[in-house]
Amino acid sequence: MVSPRDTQECLQLLNDNIDSDVRFLAGGTDAVVRMKDNMWRPKLWINLKDVEELRYIEEKDDYIHIGPMTTYTDMVNSPLIQEKAPVLAQTSKEVGAIQLQNMGTIGGNIGTASPAGDTIPTLFILDAHIQLTSVKGSRLVSVEEYFIGPGRTVKEDDEIITEIIVNKQKENEIAIFEKLGPRKAQSISIVNCAVLLEMGEGNKECLGGRVAFGSVGPTIIRAKKCEQMLKMGPLDEHKIEDVADAAWKEVMPISDVRASAKYRRKMASSLLKRGLLRLMEGWDAR
Amino acid sequence: MSKDIALGKQNKDLKWVGRAVKRIDGPDKVTGEQKYMTDYHYDNMVWGRVLRSEYPHARIKSIDTSKAKDLEGVVCVLTYEDIPGFNGFGVVTPDQPVLAENVVRYMGDAVALVGAESDEIAEEALGLIEVDYEPLEAVTDPEKAMVEGAPQLHPDGNLHSEAVIQNGDVEEGFEEADFIFENTFYSPRQMHAFIETEGGWGIEEEDGLLTIQCPSQHGHRDKMQIARALALNPERIRVYSSPNGGGFGGKDEITVQIYLALLAINTGGRPVKLHLSREESVQAGLKRHPFKVTAKTGAKKDGTIVAHKVRAVADTGAYASLGGAVVALGVEHAAGPYYIPNIDLQGYCVYTNNGIASAFRGFGVNQVSVAIETHIDMLAEKANLCPIEIRKKNAYRQNEKSSLGNIVKSSVGTIETLEAAEQTDLWINRESYKADVKEPWKKRGVAIATSHHSVGMGIGTPDYGASSIELLEDGRFKVGLAIEEIGTGNGTVYAQVAAECLNCDIDDVIVIQGDTGETLDSGTISASRASYTGGRAIATAAPNMTQLLSEQAAELLNVDASQIVVGERKLHIYGDEAQSVTYKQIYDHLISQGKSTRVEGHFYFPREKEIKNSEGAPHYLYGYMTHVVMVEVDTLTGQTDVLKVIGIPDCGKVLNPQGLEGQVEGGAVMGIGYTLYEDVVMKDGYYETKSFTDYIIPTIRETPDIKTIAVESDESSGPFGAKGIAEVVMIPIISAIKAAINDAVGVRVKKLPATPERIHKLILEKEESRRLASGS
Repeated sequence: MVSPRDTQECLQLLNDNIDSDVRFLAGGTDAVVRMKDNMWRPKLWINLKDVEELRYIEEKDDYIHIGPMTTYTDMVNSPLIQEKAPVLAQTSKEVGAIQLQNMGTIGGNIGTASPAGDTIPTLFILDAHIQLTSVKGSRLVSVEEYFIGPGRTVKEDDEIITEIIVNKQKENEIAIFEKLGPRKAQSISIVNCAVLLEMGEGNKECLGGRVAFGSVGPTIIRAKKCEQMLKMGPLDEHKIEDVADAAWKEVMPISDVRASAKYRRKMASSLLKRGLLRLMEGWDAR
Repeated sequence: MSKDIALGKQNKDLKWVGRAVKRIDGPDKVTGEQKYMTDYHYDNMVWGRVLRSEYPHARIKSIDTSKAKDLEGVVCVLTYEDIPGFNGFGVVTPDQPVLAENVVRYMGDAVALVGAESDEIAEEALGLIEVDYEPLEAVTDPEKAMVEGAPQLHPDGNLHSEAVIQNGDVEEGFEEADFIFENTFYSPRQMHAFIETEGGWGIEEEDGLLTIQCPSQHGHRDKMQIARALALNPERIRVYSSPNGGGFGGKDEITVQIYLALLAINTGGRPVKLHLSREESVQAGLKRHPFKVTAKTGAKKDGTIVAHKVRAVADTGAYASLGGAVVALGVEHAAGPYYIPNIDLQGYCVYTNNGIASAFRGFGVNQVSVAIETHIDMLAEKANLCPIEIRKKNAYRQNEKSSLGNIVKSSVGTIETLEAAEQTDLWINRESYKADVKEPWKKRGVAIATSHHSVGMGIGTPDYGASSIELLEDGRFKVGLAIEEIGTGNGTVYAQVAAECLNCDIDDVIVIQGDTGETLDSGTISASRASYTGGRAIATAAPNMTQLLSEQAAELLNVDASQIVVGERKLHIYGDEAQSVTYKQIYDHLISQGKSTRVEGHFYFPREKEIKNSEGAPHYLYGYMTHVVMVEVDTLTGQTDVLKVIGIPDCGKVLNPQGLEGQVEGGAVMGIGYTLYEDVVMKDGYYETKSFTDYIIPTIRETPDIKTIAVESDESSGPFGAKGIAEVVMIPIISAIKAAINDAVGVRVKKLPATPERIHKLILEKEESRRLASGS
């Protein structure tokens, strides 16, 4: 295992070992588990823990820029995120439990690319972009194009994640993260869902929004049909029911030891319904 | 000092007993100073590893260890051929091979042992052992295992044991019943999930003495099982078995002690350590028996239960361990703490190729109590009666007949616990608590359930307590009592009882547990027996110490022993405190005369007359318990939260209120885990659940507000009136949560755990049938 001190050193190391079997160690909350299970046993671990320059949260050009080594706890405690992208703070609080939030990083969550990764649906609704960097230069990829399958992404072997850029929530944008796990703390999601609504002037008027589901397909799924329906008339209880009912058509879950595909499908609807009800109650009471 | 102290007749003015005395092991535990067996380190050590089976059922054609033996850094590789004695262990029926010879019967079967210079080399060596298996058909469903033609796993077939208790005429009972309820209930394969996995040290001393340091629930019995496998004189084995980092029944059987012993005699005197990973513990360790319980209950309109019939089938897995006893205890408790005149209770303990099930807190009662308690709730609903009233109406009292037909002579607190439940704020104001939901898709329910659980081993199993008390040079007392500390705080209770009986300060008592070299065998830490048995043993030994002290004081002060009074850290002449001797003086006096400073106390657990074919019923003593719980169900997801628990135990006199609260709270959380989350899932004999990633135990976020209200029935046979409580604390809560879910959303779960998916499915089915019924 090597522990570079800055991004440049890290990129150089990666480039020097490009033909070797290399893996990154960020917070280690997934990596160590997989190492124990004999799944991840690379020849070389590149430990990113000491790359302090990749750990930051700042506002720039109307966006929030987050370093990949930023922990969930950093995001929970960040006044900037609490104020301008509160749904990301809320999501970070739902990941694992305190111990895991102290260790785990947003870059690690994206890098592992688990279909059950808790922050990813939220990054979808915040229209996140991921900056990938190699010795040759940097490129920006939309979060929706980033994931191509469980554990598979468009990141090349010589690239590392160097930044995550997310939208700020506007004053009329409300958002929520809903999670169903086998228990409240320390659990892998059975289904999770993030919703963002752009509200209008009228009563329960929704101008549009984004809906993303996790754990119900090989990657995070954006529910475009549900999104279309959001703007078709006031978002009252009846409408919410209709939108939620449409969710099952958008997801492609599998059965595993945690839940059946059938249940996951139903839960996509339930979580969307619960999220919309909670959002609208908050909006009406504003 | 009269025998009455031990028998609960002098409860006034107690100085130590009944008080929230702090844990004697508390400071060491909270500061992390406490050393568990695997925390020790010895120089020049050897690492041990176990090669486990690759199949749930297979014939072993050959085992080739030559490559492993040739690996540099390997100290020894052992197979069944290296076992000097009997290749088997098991508390009741020793049918589990120490190391498999011809056949493997589950994924945890041990095939070979490796000792090596490092853990990594040991692991590598495991991969070099070549075992040629011929896979055989796995038997994984206990019902199918009993059918003719199923592959036979043991010479006597797949039915390990059965227990039957019949009384009255159950068919006549059903004929006179107004209502009959018939259901089948399934229960999960719960894992003990103790924080300390199985492990320890084995050391062969220069003089040939074999020392085993391994957490266990009965070191003296381990010693006998080790001796049998190694063909050693048990007196040449010393077992250190305390403290345990949790046990719950999972360390009642041999875990790794014999592996440690075998490795230790093959390393030329080098200390050997072996410590299972969590994954290996899941694979090889004991579990709770999954039961299929088919029950039929008949009752009158007024709530009188007239007949109860149960057929319980238990999956004991590959080997017997304590399976037969678990099923027998389940049968004994299947009718609940009630008098039902007509019963037919049958239990079957069946071998399969699933992981081994054995002792686990509750010991078969958890699984069967769900049937009677659920049927009582259904009766309450059907007959429009209060669930508490029905239970009170059917509960037996002390000196009345139980369903088994015997007169229960020991104290019975069922009705008092139910009355206390009735008086709780949660029960009285349950409608307003239920109405107080924050979101409309959440529904709340409040319910109660009650259960009993025996204390002690039951008929046919030796059940004794023994304690030594030694006066030390500094005037303190060393109390030796083998029953281990497994986290329950029984050591603190022993110190309290000793201080009370010896009229000394608790700091003047040193308690030694779980060391076969220094303590007398006093049976297991199991069966809710440790406080009662240990307490009685000390209370029997203490008067012998007082007598010894008084006689010596009398000699030194030149008076008759009857004139001597035990005061604070001294003995004096009655009416004249100035005429006294200290304990130190007595010690010196005894030593100068070459006399022993040690006394012993022995006692046998009281017993009943055995019911034919019951395999050990009835017990003399039972603890009783009622739970009141409130749950909240999210109807959108089926997720259930337990919000409030009130535990109302009758454990006789409370010896330490803080210790009791610990038991009630721990039992509640374990009961919540059993009811809502926990199951080791197996498919075709393979584990689908492999670690804590998928084995869901409650965390602090699933832990509700838990309150303890003790009902203290006076048990005249107990130490200061105490009984036992360690197991019943997790039993009624299971049925209470189920009933509260029903109160909230109108569905009855018959298969545990009540996962969100299961609850949600039941809610949908109920809505569907309602829609069909209304014809829309």
